[in-house]
Amino acid sequence: MKRLGVPGGILLAWIITGIAGPLLPLTPNAIDLSHVLQSGDAHAWLGYDDLGRPIADRLVIGARTSLLVACGVVGISMVLGSVLGAVGGYLGGWIDHLLVRVIDVFLAFPGILLAIALAGVMGPGLDNVVIALSAVGWVGYARLARAQVLSIKTRDHVMAAVAVGASRSRIVLRHLLPLVSAPLLVEASFGLAGVVVAEAGLSFLGLGVQPPIASWGSMIRDGTRYMLVAPHMVIAPGIALFLVVLAINLLGDWLRDWLDVRSRS
Amino acid sequence: MKGVRRIGGPRRHRQVAGWLLGFLFVLVSGACSDTPSQAFRFGLASAPLNLDPRYATDATSARINRLLYRRLVDFDETFRPVPALATWKQVNPRHYRFFLNAGPGRTFHDGTRLTAYDVKATYESILDPTQASPLRGSLQVIDRIEARSDEIIDFYLTQPDPLFPRLLGVGILPRRLLVQRHPFHARPVGSGPFAFQAKPDDNRLQLVRVQDGRRFEFLRIPDPTVRALKLLAGEIDMVQNDLPPEIVSYLARTPALRIQRIPGTTFTYLGFNLRDPVTRHLALRQAIAYAIDREAIIASILGGAARLAHSILPPYHWAGHPALQGYRYDPEKARSLLAGLDKNVSRSLTYKTSSDPFRLRVATIIQDQLAKIGLHVEVRSYDWGTFYGDIKAGRFQLYSLSWVGVKTPDIFSYAFHSRSIPPHGANRGRYHSPLADRLIEEAEAAQSLEEKQKLYRRLQEHLLATLPYVPLWYEDHVFVARKEIQGYVMAPDGNYDGLQQVYRSVRAVQE
Amino acid sequence: MFWQVVFRRVISAGGVVVGVVCLVFVLLHLVPGDPVDVMLGEYARPADKEALRRALGLHQPLPRQLAQYLERVLHGDFGTSIYSGRPIGQLLWERIPATAELGCAALGLALLLAFPLGILAAVYRNSLVDVAAMSFSLLGVSIPNFWLGPMVILVGAVWLGWFPVSGREGLLSLVLPAVTLGTALAAILARMIRSSLLDVLSEDFIRTARAKGAAEWMVILRHGVRNALLPVTTLVGLQLGSLLGGAVITETVFAWPGIGSLVVEAIQRRDYPVVQAAVLVIALAYVLVNLVTDVLYAWIDPRVRFEREP
Repeated sequence: MKRLGVPGGILLAWIITGIAGPLLPLTPNAIDLSHVLQSGDAHAWLGYDDLGRPIADRLVIGARTSLLVACGVVGISMVLGSVLGAVGGYLGGWIDHLLVRVIDVFLAFPGILLAIALAGVMGPGLDNVVIALSAVGWVGYARLARAQVLSIKTRDHVMAAVAVGASRSRIVLRHLLPLVSAPLLVEASFGLAGVVVAEAGLSFLGLGVQPPIASWGSMIRDGTRYMLVAPHMVIAPGIALFLVVLAINLLGDWLRDWLDVRSRS
Repeated sequence: MKGVRRIGGPRRHRQVAGWLLGFLFVLVSGACSDTPSQAFRFGLASAPLNLDPRYATDATSARINRLLYRRLVDFDETFRPVPALATWKQVNPRHYRFFLNAGPGRTFHDGTRLTAYDVKATYESILDPTQASPLRGSLQVIDRIEARSDEIIDFYLTQPDPLFPRLLGVGILPRRLLVQRHPFHARPVGSGPFAFQAKPDDNRLQLVRVQDGRRFEFLRIPDPTVRALKLLAGEIDMVQNDLPPEIVSYLARTPALRIQRIPGTTFTYLGFNLRDPVTRHLALRQAIAYAIDREAIIASILGGAARLAHSILPPYHWAGHPALQGYRYDPEKARSLLAGLDKNVSRSLTYKTSSDPFRLRVATIIQDQLAKIGLHVEVRSYDWGTFYGDIKAGRFQLYSLSWVGVKTPDIFSYAFHSRSIPPHGANRGRYHSPLADRLIEEAEAAQSLEEKQKLYRRLQEHLLATLPYVPLWYEDHVFVARKEIQGYVMAPDGNYDGLQQVYRSVRAVQE
Repeated sequence: MFWQVVFRRVISAGGVVVGVVCLVFVLLHLVPGDPVDVMLGEYARPADKEALRRALGLHQPLPRQLAQYLERVLHGDFGTSIYSGRPIGQLLWERIPATAELGCAALGLALLLAFPLGILAAVYRNSLVDVAAMSFSLLGVSIPNFWLGPMVILVGAVWLGWFPVSGREGLLSLVLPAVTLGTALAAILARMIRSSLLDVLSEDFIRTARAKGAAEWMVILRHGVRNALLPVTTLVGLQLGSLLGGAVITETVFAWPGIGSLVVEAIQRRDYPVVQAAVLVIALAYVLVNLVTDVLYAWIDPRVRFEREP
């Protein structure tokens, strides 16, 4: 459990700032032209951006942006993907066949590319980012859930449920999905890191949040424009993003090992 | 971790490690110096959209086309027409005779000689309605054109125009190629100081300076930081404008670079769509004009390198209005104007701008200042060509743009007369004011400069009162170059004519 | 047996290709709102809209449009760019070499970095070298390339002055984008090489080779690495997709004139037929590469021929 201390702390900080952000006395969008690109002071300890807005405050709102998008996308794609995958795996037949084909087609696209194209075609905005990333993200969960369900659908308790005449939806939701949830959770934890990076990447390309809302990706994009004269602008959001992704990856590793050990014993 | 036994001690693997580390080292090193190209490389924020002077309307094209083609007439510092390819005399108020000079620019880049017949062919092609040139509207006054010889050409007008030569600033194209419908936009042929060499892709344009055969390359580098970095790294030799002031002051501190500045005439404004259900309300436009703190924006974001503007024409233009009183920053007044506006009018606006970071930065500040008076503004940014296409087609509610290189008061007719609604002109906001139309027509018909001046001043007062544009500022020009680049002379309209004299100083290279 | 596998793979890849074309078509049609509205932006005139709708064939029933689109794509006709008016096939053709070049360079660099790192980490397991290599690996997967890119420019082009800032001019200009794009792949591969080498090195034939008195590095390279190659090949094939996806951002950061930056430019220009075609071409390239990998794999390793998807 010692391995979890630092990454756990980082994640907790991310989640708390993300949730509590709006309650804090922050001024992330307060443009103050007398402070443009200045370095830190008592009011803004991480300095000011190219419009004189406090970077620390914007980091907090950026944390909220990435948390909302990450939870939204992972939530939607996990529910959608695992239900589709489990249903396909359980029912078999032409439904399953169709599902496998659709999954194959989606897997033929580099995920981020499809998301970029979708977000670009739908126009900028956070809601469209969530839609685009979910449209790409569900596939992984569907494939995993399907494979897992295939391997357990002939187990005794499932057969018993069938025998007592449980409905198909009840069997999938109550008997199959809970059993396959562990690997899905591992997938989701790594997926979280992917979505955090993807949202920042879309915002970096100008397809995500629109001004004046802050996202770490758009902050990095703005920061690179002043990296010669005000490197703090690009370093702060870069490190925040990096730390969160690193922490999620470490936790994902730990979760996988832990579940691995548990399933063996 | 899987239960794999540790294999071997460090000693046994020393040679492996050495071998691999050496390999890594070879990978990491491996930089060698590049031989410097002798071409002059000029960084551009946006590529020229059209190299045919009959169709070019964007500033970059206009500036490049000045290098490729020559004009009959140019302008002096007070914006009065002066001879370029030709001198002229007024035979009578409806008849001007032009005499082509013996001087430079009489030979096209394909080797043929530029004659009066080429001038005639160029202007007739602009006047040809099937050619759909955006310049056609401003040349309506021309009745017919007659070439008297290779050297002499007559322009006959439909009505008297004492300042007619001002309209003949279009680059002259060779008749031989015009007849063949040569694609000038892709392979321009003119008689300017620079000849077209190649356009390998959208981002590169190669020209040759005719006098000495030196190569010039224009590189499109949309990101200002990258442009600055390339200048620092010596990958380009010079840039002009479109750099944030912070970067300019950073570059100014770099020993390898040199900076020149000059006050400019580039007029930046906020444009409205006057057919839009929201922006058609004058009170709303006035509220916006009062809500924008232009002085603060100039002081901070523009680094002081701009002057407040109240009209397209600068006050020192002969038709300008030095006494014009603009809108001073007054958020209280803005709020009360909004409060008086019909409650059913939406308080949300969409503001279009190019994706240039500096323009986006200005847009975000204006968004913030408008939010303070209760207007919700959504900022949309697009690639320059797309954005400009939207504006030209009237697809906007609110936008910001600049007029570059405005020389004559004809701009008022081009931008505000009701007959200039696209595609007939640049009245992109669909401004329709009978008084403005009348003032424009009277000023055009007036025979004395004093009379014209009086009418244009009344027109500028009227425009400021009715606000089809919120005038923002005139931007200075800044030129940044490597130390060894010498001889560049800047122009108030920001043209690139100074490239004719540019040379590379050997001494500076050796330092 | 081998040809049966090839045949089956080709058939299924063909099915995927048709699916990919359909999905790309849907991309433009299932988005909320009217694609014509998005393309022309707000405040478009009805006449302009109608003209564009006709030009794109959007006035016809959907299945008919899809059939026409399929037919045109099969003939290699991707339509014309709304922005530049040029044939899209031509645009793509100009951009493909740059992306291929960058992709190969990044892949090469990743392999060149990952092998030494992975081998060192496995050989000196739990040593400082191992910790350093695995830390690099963890950092590599956690640093987003749009942050790494500017940093690499700052160091390699501005401070050191060794490489051009951006653009595609000569071999040197390839280095920084390749580093940016290849780092994450190198990190993943190094980890993979380490763990598969650890598995292999504990096996009997390695001990036998050692006992025969072969030089240690010979044993590792000839026996260990060779056996670790197979899983690495699989991983490279799988990672190629994220490499192509990462190229979109990397090319944008470095103004690299490839397909990826074309996608972003086209989005900025609202030139959706180009977006559509570029996405399609990248997906098709990916399908093709995976097909080749599958077939090669089946050829190298006979066991694969008997495996089937569950």
